[in-house]
Amino acid sequence: MNKLFQTKHHLWLELVFASFAIKDEAIKSRLYDFSQINFRHMKWIANETLLKGKDYNYDRDMMLYKQESVFTILQNLQNRFQDAMQSYGDDTLAGRMRTDDEYLLTYIEELLEDKSNDAPITAFNMERKYKNKNLAQEQIDALTLFLFEESYKEYELILIYAYMQARTDNLMQYNVFQDLIDESHFHLKSFGNMMAELGILALPRELHERTYMIDDLEKFIKDGIAEEEAAKEMCKELSSAIKDEELSKFFDFINYQESYHIALMEKLL
Amino acid sequence: MLEELKNVKMPEGLNPEVLAHLMQPQNYGKLEDANGIGVALDEKTNEYVIFYLKLDSDKIEDIKFATNGCQDTVVIGSMFSDMIKGEKLLFAQKAIEKIIEKLGRLSAQQEVCAAIVFASYNAALQNFENIQNGADEELHMVKMKESCEVEEKKEDE
Repeated sequence: MNKLFQTKHHLWLELVFASFAIKDEAIKSRLYDFSQINFRHMKWIANETLLKGKDYNYDRDMMLYKQESVFTILQNLQNRFQDAMQSYGDDTLAGRMRTDDEYLLTYIEELLEDKSNDAPITAFNMERKYKNKNLAQEQIDALTLFLFEESYKEYELILIYAYMQARTDNLMQYNVFQDLIDESHFHLKSFGNMMAELGILALPRELHERTYMIDDLEKFIKDGIAEEEAAKEMCKELSSAIKDEELSKFFDFINYQESYHIALMEKLL
Repeated sequence: MLEELKNVKMPEGLNPEVLAHLMQPQNYGKLEDANGIGVALDEKTNEYVIFYLKLDSDKIEDIKFATNGCQDTVVIGSMFSDMIKGEKLLFAQKAIEKIIEKLGRLSAQQEVCAAIVFASYNAALQNFENIQNGADEELHMVKMKESCEVEEKKEDE
């Protein structure tokens, strides 16, 4: 089951990052929806694994290939899913995953039939230009570092909270973890799309087991609150450093969201 | 510098090499057949760096690292491991100075990041030595005296 879990972890990431890399809003949105479905597959595999008295981990062996066109991204997804589906087995969950993924493959086939869906990918070109904004170099540097730091952090939080959610019998904790996971998905999506816009889209690094196997929940939450405070501070600094109304408003908005994360986390103490 | 970066024009500020390590850290992850494993831990922030070494006598055959730390820690770990992979241990000790030169002037916080990376590497060497001397030690752990948190406060003062 761990192998299947790891396969789904890869597929979730492939879809999420494909959706970030592609600019066409309709394709981006559909792929993101499918990525969320695949994240739920991951969650269900995790639950079934634990019910069987087995365990899973977040070990990863994947690269984010720097594709140059929408079609190469879609063809890559097609190959990945076709390969993965061979290993699904034949239980109820496998049946659900297979029908979901077959539907995704049908969608991809339709996209590939229409050449007007193809376009160059600029998400990896490292140009570091943000839309048509005239940002100073220090502002671009600050934004770059913030996005690398925070995109990893959101990915890390999604996986840690999911790991803890799968292991709690406490309904209040379960709900708080779900809220925090949902929030982090949104932040990862926001930051990932910005990274793609800047041409610096990159896969967050793999989580080591020391990061997500938490022995002391209270300490973890207290450290997490301190990290949220630090993230709030970074947002505030970035908001005031970047002299652009649209970006400043965005970072203020994220800053207020972090405040509520702290309130949610305090419920866990 | 990575081949793909040779034609990339980068403005001043974040240099292309640092950006490449940010986008794709080198030697990141676990090494299953390591014979030296070291962890450096900052107990205040719970930040850690773990180094895996596969040593053949005094040569670093393979190396990997992982961390839950900040991007500075990742970049330093990535650059350092890249520089010493396949090299002799003596070279690795000198590489620490070269990394500092490459990075330029470091803030107090970045110095703590560099220190935790090098402490973790040294702990892995210690683990290798302890095992050679007959110890049954899964990994060697060191606790950091300086913390990112403390350094940040010092800067504010």
